[in-house]
Amino acid sequence: MAEKKVILVTGIAGYWGGQVASRLIAEAEQGPDDSAGESGDLHIIGLDIEPPKQEIKGLDFIQADIRNPLLIDLLKSEDVHTVCHLGFIDYGRPSEASFDINVMGTMKLLGACAEAGTRKVVIKSSTTVYGASPSNPGFLTEQHPLQGNRSRGYTRDMVEIEAFCNGFRRQQPEMILTIFRFPNIVGPTADTPITRFLKEPRSPVLLGFDPLMQVIHERDVVEALVYGVMNDHPGVFNVAADGILPLTKLMSLAGKLPIPVFHLFAYWGMDLLGSTGMNDGRYIPIELDYLRYPWVADLTRMHNELDFIPRYTADETLYEFAGQQRLRHYVPETDALAYDEERLHDTIERRRRAKERQKANAARMAEEDVDNEQR
Amino acid sequence: MSSDEMIEAGFDGMPGEVTEMGEEPEVTDEELRRQLADQLDQIVERVKASTPEYTPPAFSAHRLLSLIEQNLKRFSPEMSLAILERLRSTIGEDLFDVDTWKGIWYMVNYSLEYQGDMLKRRLTGEYETDEWGYDPEFMEAVKPFFDFMYKTYWRVETSGIENIPDEGRALLVSNHSGQLPWDGTMLGLAVYNEHPNQRLVRSLYATWFPTLPFVSAFLTRMGQALATDENGIRLLESDELVAVFPEGYKGVGKLYKERYRLARFGRGGFVRMALTTQAPIIPVSVVGAEETYISLAKADAVAKLIGFPYFPISLTFPWLGPLGFIPLPTKWYIDFGEPIPVDSYHEGAANNMMLVSQLADQVRNVVQEMIFKRLADRKSVFFG
Repeated sequence: MAEKKVILVTGIAGYWGGQVASRLIAEAEQGPDDSAGESGDLHIIGLDIEPPKQEIKGLDFIQADIRNPLLIDLLKSEDVHTVCHLGFIDYGRPSEASFDINVMGTMKLLGACAEAGTRKVVIKSSTTVYGASPSNPGFLTEQHPLQGNRSRGYTRDMVEIEAFCNGFRRQQPEMILTIFRFPNIVGPTADTPITRFLKEPRSPVLLGFDPLMQVIHERDVVEALVYGVMNDHPGVFNVAADGILPLTKLMSLAGKLPIPVFHLFAYWGMDLLGSTGMNDGRYIPIELDYLRYPWVADLTRMHNELDFIPRYTADETLYEFAGQQRLRHYVPETDALAYDEERLHDTIERRRRAKERQKANAARMAEEDVDNEQR
Repeated sequence: MSSDEMIEAGFDGMPGEVTEMGEEPEVTDEELRRQLADQLDQIVERVKASTPEYTPPAFSAHRLLSLIEQNLKRFSPEMSLAILERLRSTIGEDLFDVDTWKGIWYMVNYSLEYQGDMLKRRLTGEYETDEWGYDPEFMEAVKPFFDFMYKTYWRVETSGIENIPDEGRALLVSNHSGQLPWDGTMLGLAVYNEHPNQRLVRSLYATWFPTLPFVSAFLTRMGQALATDENGIRLLESDELVAVFPEGYKGVGKLYKERYRLARFGRGGFVRMALTTQAPIIPVSVVGAEETYISLAKADAVAKLIGFPYFPISLTFPWLGPLGFIPLPTKWYIDFGEPIPVDSYHEGAANNMMLVSQLADQVRNVVQEMIFKRLADRKSVFFG
């Protein structure tokens, strides 16, 4: 059997880290049976400063900060082939703390990867880095200058990270650096600005503005990241679901009635909230510019070069989300119950296996003892 | 409830009486009835042809009554009394035969169903838009107003519509005038109304418009796009009909004394689009839009203050407030010129700035000549 390919996933305690790691482990267990190329034989290491809240079966968890200078040694000693970098935080407004973790963390991580000779790095980014602006063309290609709105911490940090990655790619031409830019991520379990926006009891829109929007299903985000880990596609790719829809249609499909607010009042209100320190992305989780101007990404590269097709269309994604939201009124506990059941099942299995191992061990020991005695 | 009984009585007695009434000397009434029934039948046939999947609930007198009752509740008491009295008098004369009633039944049900359905679909988001946001249902809903402006208010006359290809890409290049982009709207409507294929024109608009509420949403729903090279090339490559106004703000914000003298044709971006996509250039002249608002001066300080590209001082604006937006009912001419082919130029021609600016000037001269020709023929601003 060939040597195992080691994949390191950062931000394992976060939602995306956990999802991607679980998906990769499933891929490894499935083995190299299907057309997924060089799948199978994977060893997944999860990295974060705290352990994941829900245990991930088959994960090799290492508790460390990505800014730790010893990371190089870890990458070298574990012979890490691919790093999937998902350890980003979103504090709402820009802050030094988030900049330090997101931007400085990524720079240090990439530096360590280059030093340790890591083959590939996959990074999850967002199409918000293009910025919503009245002068945007209808379809933003990957080469479009990044003019992301700098009043939200995550977007500002992502623009910085992408700018750094651009230079880094030239310095390290032999490393495969893949960046996926995703639009609004919608799904039943993910907590993203758009799902927060759609879950608010009253979601404001700007009166007389109805920009075109793109979405992607949370499962397709995970699929895309795993696809990036399993296949070699250096470069930046916009990845979004099929279908571009106006904001009002998006909200109607998600079962929301938009509440129009005159845009000047909305901007003043946001400024007021911002200056009092009350707005940390809770009131309107999306920057107003992104509700006003278009920021639709061009998917030509995704179709022609990446050859990855998201499984959910935009309409399907939103239908599913709306259904899930309606269901939540009736069965809020199901997920927790199902999860609990699964966990107990696993625990029983594990204890049973442990007992068997113990028994087998004891038997072997007994046999050895007998052998020894016979000798 | 007495009215309902009346209706029922009249209705029940009808089928037999109709044949008897036919022998009485009131021939003119009978003919009128038949004509009415025929017309109704025709409408029903037409609707049936357009939406074959729609079948109304089975016709019965009881259902008809409950339908009428339901819908009467929507009116005020006086209104419904008036309607009921009218209905009573009509039925008292025993005007219709049962087929006519069936036709009415069909139409009432259809329109209720259709409108209720449309409202529901808008609220649940079950409508289609294309990748540029073009919303055909919205277009149909607002078109009557613009048709009024086109046909009645400005009495737009077109010529050379045959220069627009039945399908495939083409770039319409037009002069820009009239303070507000009415000319773009009328140009789009002219092609939609007069062209045999009802082609949709994708106008490329200036960066200022997406910052304005309502204008922004309106333009997107009408399938228009921002004027950038990327947008123009993408639209032309998907074989759309694209319209550009290369004069931009300099054209639309022109003073009255400068009317019909073309401003500089931008930086030749439209020529690059045409050369890149090998789309023929069709020069278009719009005459009549210059006089819709009489702009005497430009208040640049005000414009800068409120972030507008220009702020016109006209005879009526801003003195009359919102009334100042009402345009004058001039007579309009939209002429489509002979296509200028660009497919004889080689691949990299779009990067040849000399060629691009030469072509831009050439197109500008053609449009200017078309305008002068039309102005020479025009006797009156308001009557043509």
